Amino acid sequence: MLRCERLRKSFGGVLALDDVTLQFPLAGLVAIIGPNGAGKTTLFHVLSGFLRPDAGRCFLGQRDITGCPPYWVAGLGLGRTFQDLRLISQMTVMDNVLVARPRQRGEKLITSLLPFTFAAEEQTNRSIAMDYLKYVGLAGKASDAAADLSYGEQKLLSIACCLATEAQALLLDEPIAGVHPEIANRILHLLIDLRTRGKLIIFIEHDLQAVVEGSELAVAMDHGRVVAQGEPKEVIARREIMEAYVG
Amino acid sequence: MEYLVHILVLVSLYTTLTFSLDLIAGHCGLLSLAQAAFYGIGAYTSAIVALAFGVPFPGALAAAAGVAVLMSMAVSTPSVYLHDDYFAIVSFCFQMIVFSVLNNWLEVTRGPLGISGIPQPVIFGRPVGQLEFLALAAGLAVVSYLVVTRLTKGPFGRVLHAMREDDVFSQSLGKNTFYFKTVAFAVSAALAAAAGSMYAHYISYIDPSNFTVTESILILSMVIIGGAGSRLGPLLGAVTLVLIPELLRFAGFPPSIAGNLRQMTYGALLILILVVRPRGLLGSYGFEAK
Amino acid sequence: MSQVAANAVAAAASYLLVGIGFSLIYTAVRFFNFAHGAIIAIGAYSAYVANASLGMPAPLGVVTGILTSASSAATLEWAIYRPLRRKRTSSAILLLVSLGIYVCLQSLISLVFGAGAVSLRAGVISQGWLVLGARLTGAQVAIIACGMLGCVSTWLFLHATLMGKLIRAVGCDPELADVHGCRQDRIVMSATVLGSALAGLAGVLLAYDSNLTPFMGFSILLGGVVAVVIGGIGNVIGIALGALLLGFTQNAIAWWISSAWQDVLVFAILILFMMIRPQGFLGTASRMGAV
Repeated sequence: MLRCERLRKSFGGVLALDDVTLQFPLAGLVAIIGPNGAGKTTLFHVLSGFLRPDAGRCFLGQRDITGCPPYWVAGLGLGRTFQDLRLISQMTVMDNVLVARPRQRGEKLITSLLPFTFAAEEQTNRSIAMDYLKYVGLAGKASDAAADLSYGEQKLLSIACCLATEAQALLLDEPIAGVHPEIANRILHLLIDLRTRGKLIIFIEHDLQAVVEGSELAVAMDHGRVVAQGEPKEVIARREIMEAYVG
Repeated sequence: MEYLVHILVLVSLYTTLTFSLDLIAGHCGLLSLAQAAFYGIGAYTSAIVALAFGVPFPGALAAAAGVAVLMSMAVSTPSVYLHDDYFAIVSFCFQMIVFSVLNNWLEVTRGPLGISGIPQPVIFGRPVGQLEFLALAAGLAVVSYLVVTRLTKGPFGRVLHAMREDDVFSQSLGKNTFYFKTVAFAVSAALAAAAGSMYAHYISYIDPSNFTVTESILILSMVIIGGAGSRLGPLLGAVTLVLIPELLRFAGFPPSIAGNLRQMTYGALLILILVVRPRGLLGSYGFEAK
Repeated sequence: MSQVAANAVAAAASYLLVGIGFSLIYTAVRFFNFAHGAIIAIGAYSAYVANASLGMPAPLGVVTGILTSASSAATLEWAIYRPLRRKRTSSAILLLVSLGIYVCLQSLISLVFGAGAVSLRAGVISQGWLVLGARLTGAQVAIIACGMLGCVSTWLFLHATLMGKLIRAVGCDPELADVHGCRQDRIVMSATVLGSALAGLAGVLLAYDSNLTPFMGFSILLGGVVAVVIGGIGNVIGIALGALLLGFTQNAIAWWISSAWQDVLVFAILILFMMIRPQGFLGTASRMGAV
């Protein structure tokens, strides 16, 4: 189970995370909302190991993962996507998902030189990758270059890659922003389905409607602090009141 | 005939060098100017070990590869933290410094005087002849082709190609980029050092002037012109840049002028390819902006 | 001891000139131009031609060197780099092109002047002057003086003139140049000419101090680049301090240990500063810097 305690991170003079303490459930949909610059993406960077916090700790289960390198955190079952969509555009859709598969024998030096040692595993990984592609609805585009997909399809692909790492918890940074409503819907239903399969999905989103529909927990951030957390409807109502108050 | 075999030996050695460099330049996208440094480290280690301790050729070659692998960490470690273009500076500095050490560490390398009298390889009790040496050199070239191709066609290569385009994304998928870069550099350095060891025992005399930055640029040019990241690009590049300037020899220029003209040909060809067809003759990777 | 210091300062001055020039050009073009090494050698060899073959006095030799360097670099910029920039060529490819240019120019010099060392005897003091207990040759004094002059004038240029400020602005954001109405080409050309003039100056002064070889460019460029890594691109004072650090470390090691190892330390310094320097040199390779 993912949690963080008193996280603090500043860049130059700007305090991006200010005493952030959060406890996430074992499974479910959690929405992180807040204006730009609230620290949401910084939180993701710290949780996933891409940034080291100035103070505070992160835990995955009993393990202290503060300051662990990103690949290590990913290996422990915490996957993520990026706000500026990241993919290997020059590789095929299938290859993108294949790279994500963990613990591949073929990635070690000695076994890599002897194809028969990993041929079977590669076959298995290919079919598992195809299953993930079917799950997100991209099976037909498996041999296309990732660069040739539409923006929405690329977002689906990045989620597929994330899932292919066998992550239990996923940090999705704006999974439906800028996406065609049809695909946005698809993504939302995917997330809801993943919840029923026992995954923890933490996503940053600006579309409040989607937030209310989807999640059971919402966390509102502003200026690096957690200003509210709880039932989505309540959190949103509080935010609006606060915004009206501050003006 | 002897001349022809000599040319083929050179082609074989350079093919090994280009495949070794392509592993990191083409497949990892890291512009390294340090390949001649590993070539030189291999040559000198092999020569010193053979002359000072009487180690036979296979052992000397293994020692050369071992030392090069260790020293490759000086270059691979920064590569994990640095943006690609800045890495070129690090590799450039490493190259300059290795040359400087070879040139100044008189007690061990005899500096500009070089090391002479390096013994020829001995197999089955007798020294290896020129044709047999060609077989050895060609064998090494084939080994380097197989190693690089095997590594880059499977999952290992898939990760390299992913890292080449987006290191951050690769890490988010659980790939330890430090491991992959370290291994790639180690293999690259080992192959280059093996070529160096062969060179030393073939020519039997080496001095630092064989292992300069210009030599590194030459090897990199071969990789680029042939086509970085492609299966046979390195071979084509090596053949092209060894053979074309040999034609100058037949044009009858005196050796000193021919040497410089040859270099100018390399430079001009490199510029030409980069302007007209940056992916090289067979290329698949073009160092485009990300 | 003071001799070590004197040599160190003289070495630092040449790194400083090269470093500032390199940094100036990099700020405008945003790729590592290795041909800068050849530009240094061109300056040195044209001073040699002016002095040894044409019998011009030393000051004119210096001017010749500077002018030849600057004009060579300007020609390369106009003929090769500018068209490639139009095509939006990546910085990696521009770097490779600059390597090709270096090789061509270096072998051209080698062809014309031979690969061996030649020397420029300025006919000035061979014993040198005694400064604070250390002996400095005339050339070394000149290098130090020019280094300081170059440092100050470049700083003034960057901070007090319009073009200098534009160059700094372009360094931060390439699109800014067009907004100002001053086209990027002119900015790049100015930076190239000035940076290469400094390189030529360094080359000439080095030629008077020691021998010329066709390969002299890269060794000095190495020093200049390390000084820039330490000091930071565009930070004239920082580069000066970096050059001093480098010069002192090199000469101290050479004096007390051996000259073979002085360059190993250069590498160590380079790596150290590249890792700890927050701006510019750490990409998003490992951890995310600024988010």
